[in-house]
Order: sequence, then structure tokens, then C-alpha cells
Amino acid sequence: MNRAAIIDAGLFAALVAVALVAQAAGEPFVITLATKAAIFALAGVGLNLVLGYGGLVSFGHAAFFGIGGYVAGILASHAMSGAPVATFPFTMQGTNEMLAIWPMAMAVAGLVALAIGALSLRTSGVYFIMVTLAFAQMLYYFAISWPAYGGEDGLSFYVRNTFPGLNTFDPIQFFAIVAVLLGLALGLSALIVRSRFGLALRAARAAPGRAVAVGIRPFGIRLTAFVISGMITGLAGALYADLNRFVSPAMLSWHMSGEIMVFVILGGVGRLAGPLAGAGAYILLEHLLGGVSEYWQALLGLLLLVIVLFAPGGIVGMLNGGRGR
Amino acid sequence: MNGPILEVEGLQKSFGALKATDEVTLDLRPGEIHALIGPNGAGKSTLIKLITGEIAADAGRIRFEGQAIDTVDAAGRARLGLARSFQVSQLVPDFTALENVMLAVQGASGESFRFLRPALADPALTEPAAFHLAHAGLSGRERVAAAALSHGERRRLEIAMALAMRPRAFLLDEPMAGMGADGARDLTALLSDLRTEAPILLVEHDMDAVFALADRVSVLVYGRVIATGSVAEIRADPEVRRSYLGEEA
Amino acid sequence: MSALLVAEQVLNGLQYGMMLFLMAAGLTLVFGVMGLINLAHGALYMTGAFACAAVAAATGSFWLGLAASLAAAASAGALVELAVIRRLYARDHLDQVLATFALILVFSETTRWLFGSFPLYLSLPEALSGAVDLPGGLVYPAFRLAIIGIGFAVAVFLFWLIGRTRLGIRIRAGEADREMIAALGVDIGRLYTLVFALGAALAGLAGALVGTIQSVQVGMGEPVLILAFVVIVIGGIGSIRGALVGALVVGMTDTLGKAFLPQLFALAMEPSAARAVGSALASMLIYILMAAVLIVRPQGLFGARA
Repeated sequence: MNRAAIIDAGLFAALVAVALVAQAAGEPFVITLATKAAIFALAGVGLNLVLGYGGLVSFGHAAFFGIGGYVAGILASHAMSGAPVATFPFTMQGTNEMLAIWPMAMAVAGLVALAIGALSLRTSGVYFIMVTLAFAQMLYYFAISWPAYGGEDGLSFYVRNTFPGLNTFDPIQFFAIVAVLLGLALGLSALIVRSRFGLALRAARAAPGRAVAVGIRPFGIRLTAFVISGMITGLAGALYADLNRFVSPAMLSWHMSGEIMVFVILGGVGRLAGPLAGAGAYILLEHLLGGVSEYWQALLGLLLLVIVLFAPGGIVGMLNGGRGR
Repeated sequence: MNGPILEVEGLQKSFGALKATDEVTLDLRPGEIHALIGPNGAGKSTLIKLITGEIAADAGRIRFEGQAIDTVDAAGRARLGLARSFQVSQLVPDFTALENVMLAVQGASGESFRFLRPALADPALTEPAAFHLAHAGLSGRERVAAAALSHGERRRLEIAMALAMRPRAFLLDEPMAGMGADGARDLTALLSDLRTEAPILLVEHDMDAVFALADRVSVLVYGRVIATGSVAEIRADPEVRRSYLGEEA
Repeated sequence: MSALLVAEQVLNGLQYGMMLFLMAAGLTLVFGVMGLINLAHGALYMTGAFACAAVAAATGSFWLGLAASLAAAASAGALVELAVIRRLYARDHLDQVLATFALILVFSETTRWLFGSFPLYLSLPEALSGAVDLPGGLVYPAFRLAIIGIGFAVAVFLFWLIGRTRLGIRIRAGEADREMIAALGVDIGRLYTLVFALGAALAGLAGALVGTIQSVQVGMGEPVLILAFVVIVIGGIGSIRGALVGALVVGMTDTLGKAFLPQLFALAMEPSAARAVGSALASMLIYILMAAVLIVRPQGLFGARA
């Protein structure tokens, strides 16, 4: 294994270790924090695919995070009430089976990513940033003004969704589910980045003119990456809804998009475990700085400024011997 | 096929009031090196971009292997077998030399939507890539990042990537740019070899190279082709001497 | 719906559009001249609003408050440009996004610390607190009319500034070729600080005016910022004319959509469903408009590059 792979594995092991130690010490709250970090990391893994490897600065990933959350919330609330989710073109019942909810959340997030991506990828640079941000904001306002699922107040569901053979209410078991999914997503993105597709995606970022000259159309490559990215972030959203048993428009807000981006950049753009390092550090900071002052986000902002201005490789960059991007 | 591989007919392109390409007609025949020369600003790069499809022509037609390709986009033309090199190297800087050439092999194959198998473990990419690197004289440099190659090596890598497309025609945009005398001589030998793979439309400033390599030469001035012919004919053409070589007729 | 109601909503749309223009003009100038995407523009809007509220409360004069909003936002802008922003010009957009996102956090939390989380309210200045009788029997609040007037005045001022003055020539030259105007001896650092402060002042002015008719609170800047982005995408980056047209289109579309779409749907549906569908669709209308522009003209109505 090379150094980068060791760091990636080490970070993942550290996350699992934190949860296991907390379990042994009887600290369920810490397990929940680790679960939250893993979910945020998963959302970041999705974004990292387009941001880190594709060079596409999407400031709208809250859209997919929130959609994943709402799919989980809506299906679960219908399972609770017994009313079908839809009666046309076919009758669809609610469900609280995670194994049914996840594919649904990913499919819907992927479809929305397809639509948003197809429009946004007609632009580039700052336009792309502004357009993705704007489309996410559109969904945010839609969630607020659509009364059926709680509107501004959000949607609560009182039972955590179920997974065969596990008690999802037990923090460590729920953590295990999330950690396995995170591990799978990390593995999948490691494969994708090294594959033919990854080669094309990275080339389209670093030398788009060259990609075209060898016969590769960047649009299709980027759109595909955007859809995969949206699906992964959508899955994270579904898990986050389950963690809180609550979804609200806040999951769709621009602030959420900014946070997902912070996870990726804090950890190190275009580094496999960057989002994990970033999300872990974010949760840790929230916890530590939150104890110092209720205005901890100001401190977070200052820290971010220092990182952007002076340590552009992020945490993983520093672990990797201070080599920049 | 005995007809021309590439035929350009009445091609026009204006940027505002500037006629960058003015009624250009030329062709590229099998087995030849056709050099395109002209003073700076004559529209050579614009003409290359029109042929590759990077920019759209205002009028005129381009035929490739007998088919009209005017509505085919740049990536599509590349896949049909029009391989170009860039005047200023356009390599993927953080890819190794091998990965850069693999990208070209992959692009030409049209199979980029494979997600799981590592590209470096795909002999359908690595083997041809290593072969073309060796052909371009870069054996032993496979694992070096493009950004770390010397200028001359990057020029060769450009050639290797064009070769890896298994093209039906090469469009080489100043492949000698920035090379010293020795490097230029080596590269001239490589290019001379290349015409057995496919004919070359060669834009070049290095007149020694042009006169050594070209079977035919076209002279472009202010977007117009003022003469086409053998090296000897071009050397003797009074209009070329006047407007391009800057001599009294 | 009566003609009077429509006329009133058109004025509301105009007023909203003018506010968006004040925001978008600064953003588009900063992008056009310095190539910088500034998410913290909304924070400067908020700064202006709070400065106005604080000074108006302390002195009892709205006009002093308004002056303070310009001064506070311009100096906050200049300060931020000198301390942070100028290190970002040479960076990629990702670094710019992250650093200015960090600035939002700093601004918002500091403001929350200083002023608390509860909204502040401003009272209208005496002279503009009444309503004006317009031709056709329409009665419209004087303050909102004043906002429309201020917006037009700023637009005229900016067109004059960019088109007719030495500074404008430098700004346009800076858009075209940075190195060239630096080589000609223009102090590019000072020019950038000045442009940034000008954009900030416009945002601060908008914040104070909107704060007066709505409320002043932490986080008020970002929704407006995102709308200003929509304006710029529609109008085209770097173009003041595009910002003006885009702002008016967005302001009108949003206002008229929210006012009339639910009623429109009520013609075909039962009222409660019509309200839900109508208001949900109205909230998405400007983004749908943006999507349409992206399909037809990705570089924006007046933009040169995409």
C-alpha cells in the first residue's frame, strides 16, 4: 500500500475505533456523533467525486442530501399512516424498510441530479457555482411552500426505519450500517477514480481541450459523474433523516451545501478519505468550539480562512507531508 | 482509397471584421506530408481548429475520407481518425506519460464508460500506450508525470498521443515549437517516419524541417492560400517570395 | 383581479427588482473586474442593514442611519478586500467560494454576538412614511416609490461612472487586460479596493432599504445573494446592463407570480389545492426562468462568455 492508501485506511479505522471505544465506555452520545460524522463524510464522498476529481464546484449538493432525506421521511411517514404515497400511475405504499428506502432515495436524487446537471453543465466556472446554488435554493423554497409534508416545519417520523436482522435503534448497530455504507462508497469511488471513466473525468478537468482532441466528450462524462455523485449524497441524506427521524427544508438549504463543501475541502480536495477527515474534524470542532462559545461558527470561519489561505491541501494534505494539491 | 483523405473546400471564418480564413481550399493525400506555412497571424491555427471542429466555419465544406464532416463535433472527428497535436502542449499534467497515452487509446476506442476495472490493469490500454510511447522515443519514461518531462519529451508525448489514436490523418500544429537544433533534427526523423502511418497536415515555422519533410507546401497569407506546390515550386514562386519571404521579386 | 391590483403588484415588482439590482451590480462588477466570486456580498448587505438600524436607533434619524449603512458597508468591504479578498484573485474559484463562505460565518456570528438573534425593526423616516396618490386612483407607499427612485438613480450613476469617467475607463480596461493597465501605471491594488468598496456600499444601501420595509436580522443577506446570482446568470456576468435587465425580470416574475399564480390556478382547481400548487410553483418560477435562459443562451442575455 502506498502512503495515501494507508492514510485513507487509517482514517476509516479511527472512525470505527471511536465508535467501538464509545460503545465499551457506555457513551452512546459519542457513537451518535461518530455516526453523524460518517453520514456527513458519505455526503462529502459524493461531492468529492465531482468537485475533487471532476473539478466541478457544485454549490448545490444540499439538493441531493435533502431529497434523499425527504424520500426517506415521506416513505416512512406513509408507512406509519398507511396511506399510499401515490395512486397514479400505480399504487405505491410507504415503507420503513431501509433496503427499500435507499434505492428509492438514490434513484430520485439521481434523477434530480440528471436534470440539474444537464442544465448546469451547459455552463462552467462561476456560472456553474451560481447555477447549482440557485437550483438547490429552488428545491428549498419548494419544500417550504409545499404544505403536504410539513412545509417550513419539516416532517417527523417516530420510528427509525428497519434493517433485517438488526436493531436500528441501538446506536452501535445503526453506526455499523452507516460505516459499512461509507466504506462501500469510499471503495466505489476509489475504483471509479482509477477506472477508464475516472481517467476521462480527471482529464476533462485538467485538460478539457485534450480530452476532446482524443475523442472524449466532457459533457457526458461530467453529467454521469454528477449523477453518481448526487446518488451517493442522496443516500447520505436518507441516513441523516433516519439518524434524526426528522427532515426539514434546512437539509436543502445553501448552508448545508456550504457545509458539505467544507467537509471536502477541510479534509483535502480530490483525496479519497478527505471528506472523512473533513467531516470528522467538523464534528469535533463543533463539539470543542461549541463548548467555548455559542458563536463557534465564527471561530470555524476564521479557521477555514486560515486553511484556504495557507494550507490548501487540507488535513489529508498535511498528513501526507504537506504536499499541496 | 486513392483519393484525398481530407478535402477542404471554400472554407471561411471571420472574427468581426477580420477574415481569419478566406476561401481556403486544400487537400491531404495518402502518404504525404502537406506543410502549411505562413507568417504569424496568417490564420494557420484557425484553419487547424476549423478542421478539427473546435470552432465552426462560417461557410465551406470539409470532407474526410469522402464523407462530409461539417456537422460532426470535435470529439466525433477525433474518433473518425483526425488526430491533432497542439502548438502549446496540452497534456494532463498530473497524469504519467503512460496515462496520457492511455487516455488517447481510450478516447479513440470510444469506451470511456467503464467504472470498476482500474485503467492501469487494462492491457487493452496499457499495451498500445507503451508501444506508442516507445515509437515516439519515450521508452523508460512511462511512469514520469507529464509535468515533470522536459520540453522535448513533451513534444514527443504529443506525437505519441496522436499516434495512439491510430488516426487516418495527422494534424500537427507546430510540433517543433521551442525545440533546439538537435531536438528538431531527431523529431524531423520521427515525423518523416510517421507518414507511413497516415498523411500529415503539418503547420510549422521551422523552415529547415518543412523543406526536409514536405511533399507539398501551401502558403497561407492573411487567411488566403496564395500558393500550393512542391518545395521547389514554392521556393521559386514569386508571389511567395514577395509576400512571405519578404524578398524583392 | 382589478387593474389597480395589477398596477400595484407591478410597482412592487419594480421595487423588488431595483433592490436586486443594487445587489447584483456590485457582484457583477467585482466578478467582471477582478474575476472573483464573492459569497460574502450578502454579509455586506446585512452589515448595511444593521449599521442603519443601530445608528437610526441611537440618533433617531433614519437619514443618518442610511449614511451609516453606506459608510459601514463600504469600509467593511474595503477592510475585507485588503485583509482577505486580494489574496484570492489569483486562486481558483473553489478557494474563493470557500474563503468567502468562511467570511459569511464570521460576519453572521459576529453580528449575532453583537446584536442578538432577534430581528430589529426600523421606522420609516417621517417624510416618506405616508402614501402617495398616483394617477388612476392607485395609492402607493411613498417609501417604496423612493426605493424605485433610488434604484434608477444608482443605475444612471453606474452607467455614467462606467461609461463616462476616468475610473470607468480603468474598470473596463481592467476587465479586458489586467497586466496592461498595471503596466500603464494604474495602481491596480487601489482600483480593486475601490471597486470592491463600491459594490459593498451598494449592497449595504440595499440592506438598509430592505431592512426598513421588512426587518433586520442575521442571515438576511444570503437569500438575496442567491437571487442576485440568478439575476447575474440571466443577465450575463460582468454586464451592468445585464444586471439591470435581469434584476427587473426576476423582480417582476417573482412578485407577479406570487401574487397571481394561486388565483390563476383557482380558476381550474379547488381553492386549497390551487393555493398549494400556485404558491409552490410561484416560488420556483424565477429558477424555471433561469433554466430557460440556460437552455437558450447559456452565457446570459448580455454576457459575452459562458
